[in-house]
Amino acid sequence: MNMIFRRAAPRLLIFVVVLVVVTLAFLSNRLVHGLIGAVEQNQFDLMRTIVRSSLRAAEDRAMARAEMIGNLPSVREIFAKRDRERLLAECGPMFDIQKAKYGVDQMQFHLPTAVSFLRLHAPTQHSDDLSKFRPMVVAVNADRVARKGMVIARTGPALFGVVPMADLSGGHAGSLDVGMDFNPILDGLKATYQMELALFVAEEPLRKFATGLPGEVITEENRRGKFIKFHSTHWALMKDLATETDVMNVAEEGFTRKLRGITYGVLVLPLRDPAGEPLGLLAVAKDFSASRAASGRSVVWQSLLALFAIVMLAVVILVVIRGFVSRPIQMITERFKALAEGDRSRPIEQPETLCQEMRDLAGTYEQLRTSDEKEK
Amino acid sequence: MRANSEARSIRLAWLIAVFLALPAVTGFSEPAPSLPLAGGLPVIVRTGLRFEQISAIDENEGSCTATVDLRLRWQDARLAYPKEDGSAFQNFRDSAADARLAAIWAARVELANTIGSPTFRTTSLRIYPDGRVELMQRTTTKFATSFDPQRFPFDQQKLGVEIVVRGEDQERVALDYHQDDLEFSGSGSDRNLDRWALGLTNIRRESLPGLYGVSHSRLWVELQIRRQFTMAMAPIFIPLFASLLIPLMAIYMNKVEDGEFQIDAFELCNIVIGGLFAVIALNFTVNSAYPMLSGADNTVTRLFGLNYLVLGAALAIIITLFRFNLVQRACGKYVQEQLYLSIVWAGPLLVLATAIALLLVAMA
Repeated sequence: MNMIFRRAAPRLLIFVVVLVVVTLAFLSNRLVHGLIGAVEQNQFDLMRTIVRSSLRAAEDRAMARAEMIGNLPSVREIFAKRDRERLLAECGPMFDIQKAKYGVDQMQFHLPTAVSFLRLHAPTQHSDDLSKFRPMVVAVNADRVARKGMVIARTGPALFGVVPMADLSGGHAGSLDVGMDFNPILDGLKATYQMELALFVAEEPLRKFATGLPGEVITEENRRGKFIKFHSTHWALMKDLATETDVMNVAEEGFTRKLRGITYGVLVLPLRDPAGEPLGLLAVAKDFSASRAASGRSVVWQSLLALFAIVMLAVVILVVIRGFVSRPIQMITERFKALAEGDRSRPIEQPETLCQEMRDLAGTYEQLRTSDEKEK
Repeated sequence: MRANSEARSIRLAWLIAVFLALPAVTGFSEPAPSLPLAGGLPVIVRTGLRFEQISAIDENEGSCTATVDLRLRWQDARLAYPKEDGSAFQNFRDSAADARLAAIWAARVELANTIGSPTFRTTSLRIYPDGRVELMQRTTTKFATSFDPQRFPFDQQKLGVEIVVRGEDQERVALDYHQDDLEFSGSGSDRNLDRWALGLTNIRRESLPGLYGVSHSRLWVELQIRRQFTMAMAPIFIPLFASLLIPLMAIYMNKVEDGEFQIDAFELCNIVIGGLFAVIALNFTVNSAYPMLSGADNTVTRLFGLNYLVLGAALAIIITLFRFNLVQRACGKYVQEQLYLSIVWAGPLLVLATAIALLLVAMA
């Protein structure tokens, strides 16, 4: 084996150093990446919790309003008498205030089992059968138990609370629903949590049930596959974060997307009616650039530190092996070669700067060189 | 007796005259229009602001000069009128709008971060039959804008306009926005901006603390802009990278033969001192041209720091190795020789890697 120590030894040692440092840097990077991933996952969980609890709170608000109005003796009495004009006069001003200030979108009285008696949001439209697209109303009138959930009504999707109504003697008279508008809920989430949101509603039930929608909702621009964008807090941004592919492949666990230099965490949450039928999606996005920037900076600094470690250790290895061992050996070997060829004129200079082992060897050389001179 | 009576009459006449003239002098002749309370409190003022044109951005001064359209909309049922003439709304422009605004309640909304007086302002007021009021104001002025240079030249900034309600706290008058206000608040048709690429506009709510613990409603309309970094590379980063080569050249130019250095340390020291003056001059130039970069931690200040560090390291190497042979004295000439040969390749590698890392950190 033709191995040269001054080359093979540093190479082997440097190779080991590179291997160890790169492995440690990689593991360290994975660790940091994992920590940042966990932080982002927490963010996703928080976003999901916030959105779901806000929707639940809106459903509760709808239910609470329905319970209160439905239990007013005057309302019960008028409704039991089926006096539409008086009911409108009794509840109309209250509904206008609720709509203007508190995000109430719809309020409707139904006759059993599901016939519209009075829509406070559209008083001229009544007496139509709702049983095909309002199963919740049918169920409430059937078992007289209040329910809540998302429904696509005539004027669009809303979060409803439906309560049974009794006449003054306690007999079942029908039901009342209150629908909360999605838009103020989403706008409120944006204002409080700096999240951007977009509500997509399945086009088929929207076309079928929401016959009172304005024309600008179902348009080609708002279409994402089988869904229609109904409302967004920032559509210029959300249209690139919730593309047709994202909407078609619901990612409840969340994904990240870089857009115009900013990384966003995006959740797509399915929205279902109380029977579990899918009605739409809610895309939620939040700026993740701080955690992503921290991750990127961490990779750069760790790589630089790893490079520093490799280079510094390589320098130490080269200086120790070549400076203390191989170069002095090379120099002493040259002297011995010269001595063997009869050249005794080359003493070893500054032998005191060599390490002890080399100094012994140098001493032997000097002894040989000077003893030959003495013999002569 | 008669004279006294006349004097009393004259005094009384003067008193009446002063009493009648006082309201006209003090301006209290008409009460200020009251808030439209039909919808309860707070009165919601829907707000949008459009960047119609951005003519200049001055990072050093922390300002941008722009023409913006402010749109305020609110409901005042007292202004409703029967729709008789067929027009969709009543329209008032400039002085007519000002006169009408003086007679009705209008939200006292200000662009709070302007610098100096506007160079142009025009107002349009529309009142709809159902009592909706839409006030549009086009203003050309300079806005104070903060720039964060930490990620220079890969930075994104926000040109913000601060819209504040004056005189009423947020429990009485609140600025709000919906999706259509956000859509209105994009950037205008003139999207050409030297050295910057325009991004999206967003609106942010942030109340403004007032007296006695009250808060005033405030919105920030922020237009994202992204620096086109290629424009900053040539004048700043090429000289900064080039100046890093000076101390490295001073080290590289020496020669070692059988453990002995061949070039006089004095000559190499001169190169480093020359490099030091070059970096100081470059630092001075950059600080003069870009004062905003000098006062904060950013890529440029870090690269200047690296330059000074490498110059210091080069000076230390020249003194310890080339001038006084400290390593040779301690460990022998072969150790010093190998140390020098290692520094020749390791130094530039580490310096270059650090400089690139500083850029990559800014990009991250």
